[in-house]
Amino acid sequence: MTSPEELDSPERRASENAALLRRMAGGDRDALAELYDKLSRPLYATARHILNDAAEAQDVVHDVFLSLWENASSFDSGRGAAFSWAVTLTRNRSIDRLRTRANRARLLGNSIPDDLGYGSDTAGLAGGERAELGDRAVAVRSAMADLPAEQQRALELAFFSGLTQKEIAEKLSEPIGTIKARIRRGLIKLRDTLADRI
Amino acid sequence: MIDERQEELASLHALGLLEGAERDQFVAELGRNPELRVRVAELRVAATALAHVAPDAEPPESLKARVLASAASRGSSVPVAPVIRFPTWIPWALAACLALAVAWTGRQYSAVRSANAALSEQRGIADQALQQVRGQLEDARRLVTESSLQIAELSAKLKDEGDIAHFKIATLASMLGNTPAAIAVAVWDPSREQGVLSVSKLPALASQKDYQLWVIDKQYPAPVSAGVFVVDPVSGEAHILFKADKPVRSIAKFAVSLERKGGSPSPEGPIVLISQ
Repeated sequence: MTSPEELDSPERRASENAALLRRMAGGDRDALAELYDKLSRPLYATARHILNDAAEAQDVVHDVFLSLWENASSFDSGRGAAFSWAVTLTRNRSIDRLRTRANRARLLGNSIPDDLGYGSDTAGLAGGERAELGDRAVAVRSAMADLPAEQQRALELAFFSGLTQKEIAEKLSEPIGTIKARIRRGLIKLRDTLADRI
Repeated sequence: MIDERQEELASLHALGLLEGAERDQFVAELGRNPELRVRVAELRVAATALAHVAPDAEPPESLKARVLASAASRGSSVPVAPVIRFPTWIPWALAACLALAVAWTGRQYSAVRSANAALSEQRGIADQALQQVRGQLEDARRLVTESSLQIAELSAKLKDEGDIAHFKIATLASMLGNTPAAIAVAVWDPSREQGVLSVSKLPALASQKDYQLWVIDKQYPAPVSAGVFVVDPVSGEAHILFKADKPVRSIAKFAVSLERKGGSPSPEGPIVLISQ
């Protein structure tokens, strides 16, 4: 008998997403619709947070799902989960757009508020919003909240800002070696904390 | 075993923060190190989980319809150049042309961006293939190096075996009957001008006596000393590395005599052992 934990295990989610991609590779548009329902929210939130622009974020998510649709047959579950693939596409395209904007420095500044609003904990989320986020998002935010503030900040900038290592170091007024060490420690702790949960 | 430097580079790579030569070197290292590839994959999962940290935002309902519509028409949605009709009323025609040009440019821009994204993905796949090839190349280089070492070892062995053919090997036995059970083997390496003597069952000596080894080379009128030795008082055994006191061209015989303590310049005591 399958337990509730197994029903929502990372392996099960990955397996379901991989099955949807296989169906998409066969031209099944219902599978695309299902995958959209599963992934569009975190992908859109990511793109919107990076770009700070709803319309551009929609364009990115649109392009990402079309890319998944057209390249579903090349998906190899042995090389990573579908979610990771989709997030990587979304992040890369968002950062690509960010970098092609005319006044890059000014727009980067506008896109990255000093307080990114998720460094503390999940207590500030409304009950309904927390439920919608799902266990996985709550787990990730909780794991982030457990990191030292300077590691959180380094990881946030590394993932969402599109800045280089050197630019992150300059923005935080720290030596680049310190930034690299913070990113390493933070990411490894996240991996360890989330090992069985994502 | 992954060290701290590799773990740091793996973390930066998982977040897409490596650039230029640093990235190329790490990608090459990945091609050679399966354990490191696993670590990068684990860290990439953790990195992409950061997407859940972004403030929650729900895409508009219309986006899903747009995605599904685009997917349905994909493959037959090659941008077609708009047909521009020129009405007689010139200002309207100009406005229409301008609008169509903007729309066409937008489509072209979108198509180019999609093509660019597809090329980026293909490049990613090609990069992975390149990593594999680099790994295979590295394996092949390692194999060549190992093979070269083996060949060098074999050559050295063959040389040694060739050298052995030039060794002078002789057994020494008592010719005088005073040490009937004693036996010895002498091996002389002419290239190094040194030898090894192994004896057994020679009687132990009084403290003022030594056994002395001699080599007999026809170029010298008298035997040449190759040193003194004593034997184990219980087993009567001795194993010594020896050299002749003079340069030796060709050894005809080995002999062991009983001499005073410290040895003699030429044989004075009785011959105990001699080779055939």
